[in-house]
Amino acid sequence: MNKFLKQMKEGILDQNPTLVQLLGMCPTLATTTSVENAFGMGMAATVVLIFSNIFISLLRKFIPKQVRIAAYIVIISGFVTAVELLMQAYFYSLYQSLGLFIPLIVVNCIILARAEAFASKNPVLPSAVDGLAMGLGFTFALVILGSVREILGNGTWLGLRVLPESYPNMVIFLLPAGAFLTLGCVIAAVQKIRNTVEDRARLKEAMAKKAPAETKAKEDPAQ
Amino acid sequence: MMNILLLMFTAILVENFIFAKFYGCCPFLGVSEKPDTALGMGMAVTFVMTVSGGVTWFVYRFLLEPFHLEYLKTVAFILVIAALVQFIEMFLRRFVPALYSALGIYLPLITTNCAVLSSALLIVQNNYNFIEAVAFGFSAALGFTLAITVFAGLRARMNAADPPRAFKGFPLTLIAAGLLAMAFSCFSGVHL
Amino acid sequence: MKPTDVLIPVLIFAGMGILFGVILAVAARVFAVKKDARAEQIAEVLPGANCGGCGFSGCAAFAEAVVRGDAPANGCRAGGAACAAKIGEILGMEVTAATPVRAIVRCSGGAGHANLKYHYEGAADCLAAERMSGGDKMCATGCIGLGTCVAACRYDALHIVEGQAVVDADKCVGCGACASVCPKHLIELIPADAKYCVMCRSPEPGALTRKQCSAGCIGCKICEKQCPTGAISVNGCIAAIDYTKCTSCGACAAKCPRKIIREL
Repeated sequence: MNKFLKQMKEGILDQNPTLVQLLGMCPTLATTTSVENAFGMGMAATVVLIFSNIFISLLRKFIPKQVRIAAYIVIISGFVTAVELLMQAYFYSLYQSLGLFIPLIVVNCIILARAEAFASKNPVLPSAVDGLAMGLGFTFALVILGSVREILGNGTWLGLRVLPESYPNMVIFLLPAGAFLTLGCVIAAVQKIRNTVEDRARLKEAMAKKAPAETKAKEDPAQ
Repeated sequence: MMNILLLMFTAILVENFIFAKFYGCCPFLGVSEKPDTALGMGMAVTFVMTVSGGVTWFVYRFLLEPFHLEYLKTVAFILVIAALVQFIEMFLRRFVPALYSALGIYLPLITTNCAVLSSALLIVQNNYNFIEAVAFGFSAALGFTLAITVFAGLRARMNAADPPRAFKGFPLTLIAAGLLAMAFSCFSGVHL
Repeated sequence: MKPTDVLIPVLIFAGMGILFGVILAVAARVFAVKKDARAEQIAEVLPGANCGGCGFSGCAAFAEAVVRGDAPANGCRAGGAACAAKIGEILGMEVTAATPVRAIVRCSGGAGHANLKYHYEGAADCLAAERMSGGDKMCATGCIGLGTCVAACRYDALHIVEGQAVVDADKCVGCGACASVCPKHLIELIPADAKYCVMCRSPEPGALTRKQCSAGCIGCKICEKQCPTGAISVNGCIAAIDYTKCTSCGACAAKCPRKIIREL
């Protein structure tokens, strides 16, 4: 159980597919104009990720190595089509606002990357958990980005007004340029946090190294 | 003739695949370190997108539509594109080795380039005829090439800059892309 | 739901899969490119660093050129004698190794010896600094020390020590990648067994060199007179060693008043 919790943490934080591994940039940039779209996109990708990971893991001993990429893509595109039809039936407005990006989940590099790097080498259950973890990490990143863009660009969060009516909506954040700028700043913030954590770890290590040396030096004259 | 030219102009500048639509951002951000590799990638994409525009049009019109299988277009198109890319790779290696050595390493990457799949899907969505389909595939790819080459030139200059540590690498690249997107957004005011 | 609703798509997609499979299989046969197996074998014994020291775009290109006869079998500097011998085995002929060479940065202006003409605060790149009126050193031939060569080296053989590039002879394979990027053309390839080198390239008259740098060649010609084999000549106030004549006796280095002929 612990192993799965660790996997979840890896997927959502340490190895976040969007913010750390920098995969799947197209949907990240295109569908984060509002929190609702971002969440919808993230969930659609998560569902596809879980099922494609399960199936690829099941079939991993039968798929010949030379045609594995083609086989993975066909498996993935099957699930994407299913998700697309389901969304068309039950979430029509979301389906309309995400538009072409639902079929484009097929070529989302996160899904292929997980198939290649994880599902093709691991048993079914860990693969499913990996799909869930990576999918949630992707959703998490998308929602952060969507929140920033919706609040600054439209003054609302998930359709609820959070900034006063007098707030002049900064439409630039809803335009393509704003997508690049926001993602750039969010990733810079993530790098800042990682740098700080790393620096602290290094400092700790250096202190730990220094401490025994110092105690030794103190002991030496006594000898 | 006029409407073909307008369609091409729109696809290259007004609805630029990268800066207005976000199709193909992964290679755009990944393969734009050096101007010459960016140009190579752009040319490979142009080649594949032009051919796939025509082929997927045929598959849709004569295979999927008659049997009412439109809902399976994503699966069909990705199959066609994957096979096509592999075929083009072999064809070039045999007959145009010069072009193969220039584009070869980018070809396998193109299967998962969403610009190719999205141009095929857009062609279906907009109900283009065959000539329009090929013209659209070609000019959308040209817009991609324009964007990636211009951006690679920018990045080559940016390498010498000394940004704050947190912004080094990818964030700075994204912000430069944002500024370039602002420049391109002025084309969205052009109504044709 | 009729059974044909499922059957037709399955059949069509199976058909498409088989069709593409057959086309690709046939294409693989028809378009097969005959590659010289020897080129691949050679590429395998090469170091694979793609340093470009041989003058070709990479190790694979060099291997093909060797098979075609466009490149000498001992053309890989990085691989050295061992690599040349292996290539000779593959091609079935005797190959003698090329004289191994190493890079050397011919400047001693680091550690504050060279005087500055302004304070440079631009991009950390020699090419950029070179554009700002030839860098911050008064000496027009001195090492700028911003490490463009360090970045070009694929073998970790170059480092900036006290403001100047220094070659680590143990790691240097003599590919010459650094020499081709240095804007000052300061890096030279000399025989790997050379013992002495003139560590300055300033062709200015002695008085001017003294003003610019406390470690530059002033063209006094003492070394020329000391050399028993006539290997050193001073042309335009800068000494140069002809390694075909040098016997590594060290007489020049012992008498050099500026101590810029150094034992390596």
